[in-house]
Amino acid sequence: MNFRCSETSMKTISLLMLILSLAGCASVQVQPWERDVLARPEMSLDSAPLDAAIDDHIYFSKEASSGGRGFGGGGCGCN
Amino acid sequence: MAADNSLNASLAAATCALLGAGSAAPATASETDEWSFESALLYYGESDNRVQDMSAAFAAKRDFGDERSLSLNLTADTLSGASASGAIALDVPQTFTSPSGRAVYTTPAGKVPLDDTFHDARFALTGSWTQPLAQLYTFTAGFGVSSEYDYKHLGANLGVTRDFNKRNTTLSGGVAYSRDNSNPVGGAPIPLAQMLDAGDSSNKLGSDSKDVVDLLLGVTQVLGRNTLLRVNYSYSDSSGYLNDPYKILSVVDPVTGDTIARVPTVGLEGPTGIYRYESRPDKRVKQSVYAELKHAFGQPVLSAAYRFMTDDWGIDSNTLEVKLRWPWGGSNFVEPQLRYYTQSAADFYRSSLVSDQALPAYASADFRLGQFNATTIGLKFGHRNADGNEWSTRLELYQQSGTVPRDQIIGNQAGREQYPDLSAIIAQFSYSFGL
Repeated sequence: MNFRCSETSMKTISLLMLILSLAGCASVQVQPWERDVLARPEMSLDSAPLDAAIDDHIYFSKEASSGGRGFGGGGCGCN
Repeated sequence: MAADNSLNASLAAATCALLGAGSAAPATASETDEWSFESALLYYGESDNRVQDMSAAFAAKRDFGDERSLSLNLTADTLSGASASGAIALDVPQTFTSPSGRAVYTTPAGKVPLDDTFHDARFALTGSWTQPLAQLYTFTAGFGVSSEYDYKHLGANLGVTRDFNKRNTTLSGGVAYSRDNSNPVGGAPIPLAQMLDAGDSSNKLGSDSKDVVDLLLGVTQVLGRNTLLRVNYSYSDSSGYLNDPYKILSVVDPVTGDTIARVPTVGLEGPTGIYRYESRPDKRVKQSVYAELKHAFGQPVLSAAYRFMTDDWGIDSNTLEVKLRWPWGGSNFVEPQLRYYTQSAADFYRSSLVSDQALPAYASADFRLGQFNATTIGLKFGHRNADGNEWSTRLELYQQSGTVPRDQIIGNQAGREQYPDLSAIIAQFSYSFGL
């Protein structure tokens, strides 16, 4: 039990460090007038919110994992 | 100026839409629209007369300007069909008491038992409000409510985002709380209680509930003119009634691996074997890290996402999803999609209970807690016209293939289907438009 706890903690810590290492990317500066491509609707991280909500609900019902992208759109009695 | 404002509006939608589907814009409408709508019709159908679902969803977003917006999302679905109950297949027919406790159903010899007595309708409504909090800060508040025959959900969430580096970096944080009430048909079974004859509800209790607290921390980082990356860390704590009230386990002979036979009480209908209702811990802590990348190769756009999830039930999962949106003939696009998912089994997953062993504290044969891989391949095709309105259609095939640990396969079980592998078609039609 203790071994499993520390294994899981190690995985979480290393993943958190991956997030924090993004601080190095903060040196990238795309100027506001260079955002033509990023402003295209299909480049939005939530470009298909209904698709995402539908997929999240299907996979939440059939698998043991859920979310990650954001908060779920409502619970259900399916898992 | 007008062009700047419309760019800003899109950017705000892009950087602020971090905290869930409720707050996201149906971003396909023109930037100058106040209202944008998205509608979808979905069919989900599993092979072998298993679960079928038809659903309709409608999302509306009203943009009030100055980065203030209101989103509402309404979904209705109707479920029918059968779901694997967790009992194992046998070489003889099996009879089970139905979840209502008032009838029985029978599974033919050689078939994995499916509980086909459910038919349900579900309605869900989510909404969120987003507004600036201060320079470079936005605030989001949202709610969710869903209702089905045997289950009710009520939740609320709050989130904050902060932009840095000329909006190249956005940090976000959010918290959500929900209370779910489960009122199973026939009552929630006493965990690990034996399935009794129809009409005998001494193994059932009433309704129960669970609380879920979620925490989300995220970073969105512009990596270049054509590239965007989001990384989220999520923490989720569920406590209360976490069992599936309809899932059971077969109690089997330690040598033959066949379910111990049972004769219903004279004059009553009931199970022809010893089956016990599942039992899960009353607490579950999940953590996940999710990373999503979007990159434009000129006109085509690649989306790639990876999620790692681990919990204190012993389940680890990896999800990889890739989509490539490819423009086609001016205003059309095709988007092939591929998803690969793998999970390990929960510590208390058991394909069956053995009669000569003491009952464990927790046990479940629910295939969704087992070890399996799942693959989705799909294709989306759509058309966007000059007004920014878009219709699209999506077809996907989902296949799940599981494994029962070798040491849990006993005797005759080796010659039968051990895991209720799943195959499903997903077909969706969507239309989004603005006003």
